[in-house]
Amino acid sequence: MLLPLIQLLVFPGLLFLAVIGLAGEFADRKLYARFQNRMGPPWFQPLADLIKLMAKEEVVPTEADRLLFTGAPAFALTSVVAAFLYIPVWGPGALLSFNGDAVVVLYLLTLPTFTYFLGGWFSRSVYAMLGALRSLTQLFAYEVPLFLTVLGPCLLAGTWSLSELTRFFGAHPWALLANAVGFAMALISLMGKLEKVPFDIPEAETEIVAGSFTEYGGRFLAFFRLSFDIEMIVGASLLAAVFLPFGLQFGPVAGFALYLVKIFFIIAVIAFIRSAVARVRIDQMISLCWKVFAPVAFLQVLVNLILKGVLFS
Amino acid sequence: MPDQDSVKIPVGPQHPSLKEPESFLITLRGEKITSASVRMGYNHRGVEKGAEGRTYTQDIYLVERICGICSHAHATCFIQAVEEVAGLEVPRRAVYIRTLMAELERVHSHLLWLGVAGHEIGFDTLLMYSWRDREVVMDLLAEISGNRVNYSMNTLGGVRRDLSRGQLQKILKDVDVLEERTQTYIRLAQEEITLIRRLSDVGVVTHEDAVRLAIVGPTARASGVKRDTRKDDPYLAYGELDFDVVWNEHCDVYGRTLVRVGELMESYKLIRQIVKAMPDGPITVKAPRKVPAGEAISRYEAPRGEDVHYVRGNGTEKPERVKVRAPTLANLQAVSHMLQDGYLADMPIVIAAIDPCFSCTDRSVTLNRLDTGGRDTSDWSALRKLGIEFYRGLGVDFAGLNRQLSNSMRRT
Amino acid sequence: MQEETIQQSLAGRFPALAGQIRLQRSRRVWVEVPLELFHPVLDLCADSLDVNILLTITGLDEGEAFGVIYHMAGPGGIIVNLKIRLPKDGASIRSLTPRFPSAEAYERELKDLLGIEVTGLPEGPRYPLPDKWPDGQYPLRKDWKPDAAGSEEGGTHA
Repeated sequence: MLLPLIQLLVFPGLLFLAVIGLAGEFADRKLYARFQNRMGPPWFQPLADLIKLMAKEEVVPTEADRLLFTGAPAFALTSVVAAFLYIPVWGPGALLSFNGDAVVVLYLLTLPTFTYFLGGWFSRSVYAMLGALRSLTQLFAYEVPLFLTVLGPCLLAGTWSLSELTRFFGAHPWALLANAVGFAMALISLMGKLEKVPFDIPEAETEIVAGSFTEYGGRFLAFFRLSFDIEMIVGASLLAAVFLPFGLQFGPVAGFALYLVKIFFIIAVIAFIRSAVARVRIDQMISLCWKVFAPVAFLQVLVNLILKGVLFS
Repeated sequence: MPDQDSVKIPVGPQHPSLKEPESFLITLRGEKITSASVRMGYNHRGVEKGAEGRTYTQDIYLVERICGICSHAHATCFIQAVEEVAGLEVPRRAVYIRTLMAELERVHSHLLWLGVAGHEIGFDTLLMYSWRDREVVMDLLAEISGNRVNYSMNTLGGVRRDLSRGQLQKILKDVDVLEERTQTYIRLAQEEITLIRRLSDVGVVTHEDAVRLAIVGPTARASGVKRDTRKDDPYLAYGELDFDVVWNEHCDVYGRTLVRVGELMESYKLIRQIVKAMPDGPITVKAPRKVPAGEAISRYEAPRGEDVHYVRGNGTEKPERVKVRAPTLANLQAVSHMLQDGYLADMPIVIAAIDPCFSCTDRSVTLNRLDTGGRDTSDWSALRKLGIEFYRGLGVDFAGLNRQLSNSMRRT
Repeated sequence: MQEETIQQSLAGRFPALAGQIRLQRSRRVWVEVPLELFHPVLDLCADSLDVNILLTITGLDEGEAFGVIYHMAGPGGIIVNLKIRLPKDGASIRSLTPRFPSAEAYERELKDLLGIEVTGLPEGPRYPLPDKWPDGQYPLRKDWKPDAAGSEEGGTHA
C-alpha cells in the first residue's frame, strides 16, 4: 500500500515531476533569453514564482462557476501526472503498462487542454472565454497530427503499449530513422499542445490579456502553471519514448541520465523555435495543421505500414 | 438593438496591447470584428491652453513634452512657426543640427516601432533585438543632448548646444553599425514567413480611402500616397539634402513595415550627408522676448507623419494661440475603418501599425473637478459600479457573455 | 508663382476678397473670408485649385468674435489658410465631414473647447473633453481660467 502511494506522490510521481518540470521551465526560459541576447532568469526562478504564487490571494469572480473554476487546476495537474505513469523513462518498462496505454497517455494528455478550456469558459470573463475557445479550437488542429505521428511507430512495432514499443525499438534501433519526419511533426504538434509560440494563440497576451488564465491567481494559477510545466516534461517524455527509445539497456542510472539528455534536447529545440518565429493567427494555424501537418503525418503512417509489411511480416 | 450573433467588448482604455489609453468599442462576431468605434481624449493635459499662459521659451519645453518620442518634432515645428512670426533667420549650423536631431529621432522612433510591432504579433525576439539596437541611437542622443528623450536642443533663434568634431565622428561610426543591423531587419521583413503572414492583408486601407480620410506618414505612404513633408514643403535643411521618399502600394501593415525600415536606411543616408556638410558658424541668433503680432503655420514630417503647428503672436512675450495637430490625430480616425472586417487577433497590430502616439493626439485641457465643490472620492465598489454602468450604456452586457460569445461563434 | 496664381483666381472669382489675401512667404497664403462666402471659396480651392487636403481647423477667441481658420494644403507644399469670423453668441457653422471626413475631430474640438456650434456632425462621442465635463465650460475661451471654476485642493489627483 505504501509503495504505490510513494510512487504516485514522490517518485516518479508528483514531486519528481514537479522538480523536473520546474527545471524544464528554467531551461526553456534561460535558452529563450539567451537566443534573444538577454541574461535570462536564475535557476531557482520557476520555484520562486511558484512559491510566490502560492502566497498570493485567490480571487474567484462572482459570475464564475465556483466548482469548475476552482476544480480545473487540480484536474489539470492530476491528469498530467497520471499520464506519466505509463511512459517508459529509464528502462524499457514503465511503471504501469498494458496493451493500449499509448492511447491512454494521449488521451490523458488532452485532458489538461480541456481543463484550460473549462477554467477559462467558466470564469465568465470576456478575455478568458475567448482564450478558452481558442484553446479548444487549437486542440482540434494539432491533436490529429500528434495522434498520427505516434500511431506510426506503434504500427511498426505491432503494439499499443509504450513499454512494448521501447522494447521493440531497443531490439531494432535503426528502425527509428524511419520515423524522423514523424518526430519533427510530433514536436511541432507538441508545441501546439503546450501553447508555445508560434501556437500560443490561446494565451496571446497582447490580444486577450491572459486568455483562459485571466481571472486566475494565487494557488490556482500556481497549479495551472505547474501543470503546464509538467505537461511539457510528460510530452517530451512521450516523444522521447516513442521516437528516441535508444540506450535503454544500460541500466537505470545511465538510462536516467540519457533520459534527461533527451528531454532537455527536446526542450532546447522548442525554445529555439519559440524565439525564431512570430505567433500565427488561429485560422492560419488550423489551415497549417490540416493542410500540411496532418497529411505529412499520414504519409509517415503509410511509410511505417509499408516498412512493417516489407521487413517484419 | 443587440445582434443575436454579435458581442460587444471594450478594448481599453487599459489593455496590454495599448501602450497608452484610448478606448475602442468593438463588436465581434466570432473572431471577426464587425464594427469598431474609437473614443479619444484620455491623455489630454491642457497643452494648448497652457501654452497661452507661458512665454515662448517656456513653451518650447511644454510643447516638447507633448510626446517623448516625437519631442524634437513638436519643439522644432513650434519654434519654426514662432521664428516665422518674429522674422528671425536661424543660422545655418543651427538648422543642420536641428535636422540631424530630427533624423536621429526618426531612427529611434522607427526602431522602437519595430520592436512594438514584433511584440504585438508575439515575436518577442524582434522586440529584444531592435530595442537593443535602439540603445545605440539613444546613447548617441544622450551624449549629444544630455537626455535620451526630450532633447531640448531648440531655443528661439537656434539651438542650445553645439556638437564637437568628436561627437560628429561618433555619429558616423554608430550609423554604420545601425545600418548593418537594419539590413538584418530588412531581410527579416522580406523572408520570415510567419511575420509576413501576420502582417499581410491586415489593417487594409486602399489608396482611395487613404486620400479620402487624409491619413499621413508611413501609413499613407504604404497605401501609395507619396506625401512626405520633407519633400513637399521643405523645412530645416531638407531642401539641400538628397534622399528618396519611401513608399509602396501594399496598403496593409506589411507595407507600413517596409516603409519604416526603408526610411531607416534613408535616415542613415541623410545623417551622413548632414555630418559631412555641417556648416561652421554660430548656433543661435539673438531673439526678442516679445514676438510681434502675426501668425504662422509650420509643418514637419515627424516619424509618425505630418505634424502641424499654428502660432499667433500678439506683441507680448506669450503667444495668443498655439494649435497643434499631431499626425496620430489624422490617422486615428482611419483606425475604425481599418479594424472593420478584420480579425480580433489583428487588432493590436493594426492599432500599432499607425504608430499611435496618443500623448501627441490629446493635448487640450486639464481635468479639474469643476462640478462638485467638495471632494469626490470613490471607493472600489463605487468605481466598479461606475465602470459597469458606463459600459452597459454603450451596449456591453457582461451578464450574458457566455451565451453571446457562443452564439457569435456558432455563426462563424 | 503658385501663390500668386491662387491669389488671382480667388480675387478674380470673388472680388470681395481682393484686399483680404496676404502672401506671407512662399507656399503660404492667408485669406480673410466673409462668412457667407466661405463654402464657395472652399469649393473653389478644392475643386479648381487642387488645394484639397484639410490639415486642421484652428479656433480662436478674438475677444468680440470667434475666428476659425481652415488650413488647406495643396501640391507643392502650399497651404491656403481660410479665416472666417463668427459672432460669439449663437455662432454656428456647417460641418465639412461630408467632403472631408477628417474634419470630424477638428470640429469636435471647436465644439468642446470653444463652444462653437457645428451642425451636421456624424454621431459619436465628444472629443477631447471627458463625458462628465460640465456644460457651459469652454476651456479655450480667453475668459476661462482653470482656478476660477473651483478646482480641488490636493487630494484625488496628484
